[in-house]
Amino acid sequence: MDFSDILASSIHDIKNSLGSILNSLDELIVNPENHIADLHQASLLQHQAQRANSNLIQLLTLYRLGNQQLAVRIAEHNLEDFLDEAIANNLAICEAMDIRLSHVCDPALMGYFDADLIRSLLDSTIGNAHRYARGEIRLSADEEEGYLVIRVEDDGAGFPDSLSGMLEKMTAQPLDAQSSGRTRLGLYFATCIAELHENADKRGRIRLKNGHSLPGGCFELWLP
Amino acid sequence: MADDFQTKSFLIIDDFADMRSAIKNLLRSLGANHLDQARDGQDAIKQLSSKSFDVVLCDYNLGPGKDGQQVLEEARHRQLIGLDTIFVMITAENAREMVMSAIEYAPDSYLAKPFTKELLKTRLIKLFALKTNLSGVNKALRVEDYGAALQELDRLISAKPKNLSELIKHKTEILLTAKRYDEAKQIIEEILAVREQHWARLELGKILFCQKQYAPAQEVFEHLIALDTNMVAARDWLAKTQAALQRFPEAENTLREAAKLSPRGLTRQRLLGELALNNGHHEEAEQAFGRAVVLAKHSVLNHPSLFAGLAKSKSANGGHADALRVVNEMSRIFADEPETGLYAATTTAIVKQHQSDVAGATRALQEAEQSLLEITETSRSPSLLLEMAKTYGQLGEREKATEIMRQAIANNHDEEESLAEIVQVCQATKLDFDAKSAIQEIQKSVVKTNNEGVRLIKAGQFDAAISLFSGAARDMANNKTVNLNAAKAIVMKMEKLGATTQDITAVRHYIERIQRLAPHDWRLNDVISRLRRIASEAS
Repeated sequence: MDFSDILASSIHDIKNSLGSILNSLDELIVNPENHIADLHQASLLQHQAQRANSNLIQLLTLYRLGNQQLAVRIAEHNLEDFLDEAIANNLAICEAMDIRLSHVCDPALMGYFDADLIRSLLDSTIGNAHRYARGEIRLSADEEEGYLVIRVEDDGAGFPDSLSGMLEKMTAQPLDAQSSGRTRLGLYFATCIAELHENADKRGRIRLKNGHSLPGGCFELWLP
Repeated sequence: MADDFQTKSFLIIDDFADMRSAIKNLLRSLGANHLDQARDGQDAIKQLSSKSFDVVLCDYNLGPGKDGQQVLEEARHRQLIGLDTIFVMITAENAREMVMSAIEYAPDSYLAKPFTKELLKTRLIKLFALKTNLSGVNKALRVEDYGAALQELDRLISAKPKNLSELIKHKTEILLTAKRYDEAKQIIEEILAVREQHWARLELGKILFCQKQYAPAQEVFEHLIALDTNMVAARDWLAKTQAALQRFPEAENTLREAAKLSPRGLTRQRLLGELALNNGHHEEAEQAFGRAVVLAKHSVLNHPSLFAGLAKSKSANGGHADALRVVNEMSRIFADEPETGLYAATTTAIVKQHQSDVAGATRALQEAEQSLLEITETSRSPSLLLEMAKTYGQLGEREKATEIMRQAIANNHDEEESLAEIVQVCQATKLDFDAKSAIQEIQKSVVKTNNEGVRLIKAGQFDAAISLFSGAARDMANNKTVNLNAAKAIVMKMEKLGATTQDITAVRHYIERIQRLAPHDWRLNDVISRLRRIASEAS
């Protein structure tokens, strides 16, 4: 057994523990008979546990991608239904953090993608936006230039200049050691997942910019 | 919406008490009242057999014993859950590939852990709406009235709802079950013209396979494997295609690759074992059958033939004593099943022959013949007959082997997979019997009878047609198609000339026979409903 296998199996264990922590927290927070002194603190705990969890899922997905064990299952999905679920999965934490989470989408819009992979990508992107949003996170989906574009926007200060825009040319390359871990891992993951989506000669990609329909950062996922 | 949660009954299956109570609290907070729990697969099956549930939430990992997929398999196979039951498989992230590679029984939905209350709520509400939407379709499917199901589905599709692509996918599945391949193919080709998708390409391959266009089917599956090496289903279908093309060593190789990617599939391991054993790869066969026996332990698909395969391959590898122990274990586990005696005897005969114990082998073969006589003719499955033929062949009883082969071919003249197996058995036992020619000859004679019968019906000579078809049905009592033709000829006569009690009884007799042979044959429904119409008009 090589070291990465050991890592993967312990990551899996940690993830399971986090899962049960998250479940207990969920119950704790919604149970009216529980008198938690500081509800906000409990929500923060929940937020951090969920972030750690989505981080681990990303690591596991990348591990399987590296081992050629990751299969992409592209099917047609309704975007409104899909975003409804993305919101449902993140609603409790956003509410606890006083962030409004909503989506804008044509009910008839359909798109082709692997729902599991894109869902975990959206979860981690929303988790990331929590940290920068002042009071709002907005999801949207559109068809532009023959691509399906899914956006996650917040009303925070936006991406720093070092990130914004330059990602247009970014391809899935190993991390450069100097970059700050968390964000880069997330972007690397996002790029990998986007590039797994291919159609005809087109490939998926991500793009970061500021001030799309909200003043803050805007994460864009372009899927062919 | 909240009413849905209040009125519906839920079964939560998870081996962790914490997880069960977490999900229970979650559902309760959504308004659910009728909640039951099961702590493992066996417990789940027990509860599913004693009570019907609207929603089953089942974790894929259930500790030792059955896993979630096996619970689903058994529940569907034994019809413990119907088409209206919502089955949600809860999976850990690492089980995705494993779960997705199970092709025979798919749950209504997958839910990856961890999930929040809101996600569960959103998902279940969507599933409730879908089941309500499909209730008309499912009602028709329950009585195997595919025409009505498709009509209802078309009505839903014409409204262009959000889940249009799901409905269209569903439609192609029903068309496949109803063997309306041309229509299914047209839909799939339209989907592929809009967008290349692996699942649709796989469906196209399946349709081509069903249409017996093996070469193009093979091309489709090979292309898919090249695009996605992890697509186990494409390998399974490629192996089926190669076997139908009688390329047995290639089929074995393909299945070996599939089993490497996804070792937990019982059917896959069984097929691999059979191919390897027939191809003379005894060690490979022993491994595959060994895995199959372990996997089958908690499965509803457990069968004496798996133990027979394991014992024969052990014996072929020199482990005769071990092999006989496996036979004893089989007799103990399947003490109540009618086929057990035959498999125990045939396997013992092969082991004795490997040990050069001629007298012992002959004795065992006689026991096998006795066991076969104890099973009524219409209950003899093709694989049972093949087992017998194989044993005759290996023990050098050429004439008896040939006789059984002919019988097996006559019973299954239009079922390519059974026929391919017959050819393979002849090759493997080095039996001097030209199965391929025999198959062609029998097929030709059935087609000839059929054409002649159709001509007679068209000419209004019903009695001549009926006597032709019923004669054929006498000669091939276990052939579905021949029995069906006999029934149809009488039905057409009654539709034209009026019903008689005697004719109605005769049709019922054929219908019962077909129902015993193939209870889900797609052609049955048509004959049954026509007979019903005739009978009600006559009374």
